Amino acid sequence: MTFRKSLSFQWMPWLLLCCVLMVWAGTARAQERVTIDITQPSFERIPIAIPDFKFLSGQPQLARQMGETLSQDLDNSGVFRPLDPRGFFEDPQASGLTAADIKFPEWRRVGADFLVRASYQIQGSSIRLEARLFDVPGSKMILGKVYEGDARNWRPMVHRFADEILFLLTGEHGVFDTRIAYVQDMGKSKEIFIVDFDGGESIQVTNNQSINLSPAWSGDGQDLAYVSYKDGNAKIYGMNVATGSQYLISGHKGLNIAPAWRPQSRQLAVTLSEGGNPDIYLISSSGDIVRKLVQSWAINVSPAWSPDGKRLAYVSNETGTPQIYILDVGSGQKRRLTFSGTYNTSPAWSPQGDWIAYNGMVGGRHNIFIIRPDGGGARQLTHGEGDNESATWSPDGRMIAFSSTRQGGSAIWVLQTNGTGIRRVTKGGGQELPDWSPRMGGG
Amino acid sequence: MKMEMGKLGRILLVLLFMASAAACSKKNVPVQPGFGAGGPGADGYGSGGTGEGGYGSGSGGGGLDDAKWREMGINSEAEKQEFLAKVEGFENQDVYFDYDSYVLSEPAKKILDTKVAFLKRYPKVRVTVEGHCDNRGTNEYNLALGERRANSALQYLANSGLSSANLNIVSYGEERPLAGGNDESSFAKNRRAHFVVTY
Repeated sequence: MTFRKSLSFQWMPWLLLCCVLMVWAGTARAQERVTIDITQPSFERIPIAIPDFKFLSGQPQLARQMGETLSQDLDNSGVFRPLDPRGFFEDPQASGLTAADIKFPEWRRVGADFLVRASYQIQGSSIRLEARLFDVPGSKMILGKVYEGDARNWRPMVHRFADEILFLLTGEHGVFDTRIAYVQDMGKSKEIFIVDFDGGESIQVTNNQSINLSPAWSGDGQDLAYVSYKDGNAKIYGMNVATGSQYLISGHKGLNIAPAWRPQSRQLAVTLSEGGNPDIYLISSSGDIVRKLVQSWAINVSPAWSPDGKRLAYVSNETGTPQIYILDVGSGQKRRLTFSGTYNTSPAWSPQGDWIAYNGMVGGRHNIFIIRPDGGGARQLTHGEGDNESATWSPDGRMIAFSSTRQGGSAIWVLQTNGTGIRRVTKGGGQELPDWSPRMGGG
Repeated sequence: MKMEMGKLGRILLVLLFMASAAACSKKNVPVQPGFGAGGPGADGYGSGGTGEGGYGSGSGGGGLDDAKWREMGINSEAEKQEFLAKVEGFENQDVYFDYDSYVLSEPAKKILDTKVAFLKRYPKVRVTVEGHCDNRGTNEYNLALGERRANSALQYLANSGLSSANLNIVSYGEERPLAGGNDESSFAKNRRAHFVVTY
């Protein structure tokens, strides 16, 4: 899946200031790079050592926070296993950053395949961050970067370096600048929030004291479509996330629900009931009906596009129970995808197109499954811990966010699809209906 | 259309305010119904925002003048009290559904028959049928299922000879549960059609 590559990090103006590629060690020519195939079933996470960053001037407390943020990022990638810094043998503030300064045999003894050493200096409101990645067995530097900008934006710089590491070693970009939109139950109302994918900052983006549901990112990550009762019944609205400006997308009679932006277009698939039955329509972003996509006497909801925008997974109860179907938009042909179980809903097509995630009911509980678009290879990813619903993929297809009641109140969780980890993203409770943003910036 | 209703609602609210202020000095007017008394409409969901538009707004019997009451076929204080009591009963009685079903049961039809009788007695009254679900399903599927439930009830009322011009539906899916528990008795209470009277 291709996302528009642009440098429009609205919340990262530092990027416009400066992002300087500094050094490639002479040895790091492309053909010599280590590329790790993380799709192998035998894949084991790569051990990496990330000591505190070295503080040169201003705000010494950031030394540890920066190291921890980078560790968290690389841990979240599912590719690395950051080593516990308590096992490190030297004071990061007292040791140097060049290959000549680094005691590679010691780091090998600690068990590290890779080592990050970084330093920073803050002067006034600006920061200069210098970060290097070393290949420990090879005893050499393989990546070096310098970032300069507003000191308040050190976090995106660290995310950026995490992405550089991941790209160098796996050939794929990470998702460190992505966010997850979700619905927060406020007691009397439900509002839309957005949280950094690592659980960092969370912001409220609707505040109308009504019921707001089903946030859905546009393909360029600029807009969110959502369902709101703020005007009495369920209508679909859009908002520009950066400016906060809101607009009506679909206000037809009856239900206007389940928005899904068609990839590489400004059209959406939605469920409307203006024709008497909840059917799936293709509409423009101003609500004009382009055409009806799915029609039957049954309930037809939850459209989810294939990444090429040519096929649509959706839910229909035309056989009596909700099941997932796939529509070929060009030919109009539809076929049933799920046959096991009596309640299969909320399909989500992976950005690579190779899987469809959904939730299926097993023993009265919802769990997350994945299945190939041809109906093969079904796998259950969560097992009987509370209800697990509303799967949404990370842009790299390596993670799935979903809502789960495994610790009581519903919260947003993220699991690695390769089975190497699961973590909770939101605190408190009452969170549901997550939708993972595309990558926001350039790659 | 909805905008107009919202505006109308606000105007009526202002009128209601003025009228009830005036009424206080004259006579003690009974508690105004209309905002889903006793039902979930009273819990303040969405209130204080941009208005509830099509559901339950613009009502409030306390603000009606005598001409309005007469238009509704209510000609005395006693008849008014009888009407208001019936409204409360009407709104307090929900119709229940089985899991993942929008089929009306026999008990449900009996309840709807009492609603038909009321609505035939007061043909000027408007009704919004709210469809609700328990929280076990998926939000979007339940929004559609809730609409089906509201439609089942509305169809029954219309088939019983009521003018569908006075009948309206809205689905809240699983978003506004009446009972908060995660047990079958709570689920059963939440799988319902709820009725809100406007006049």
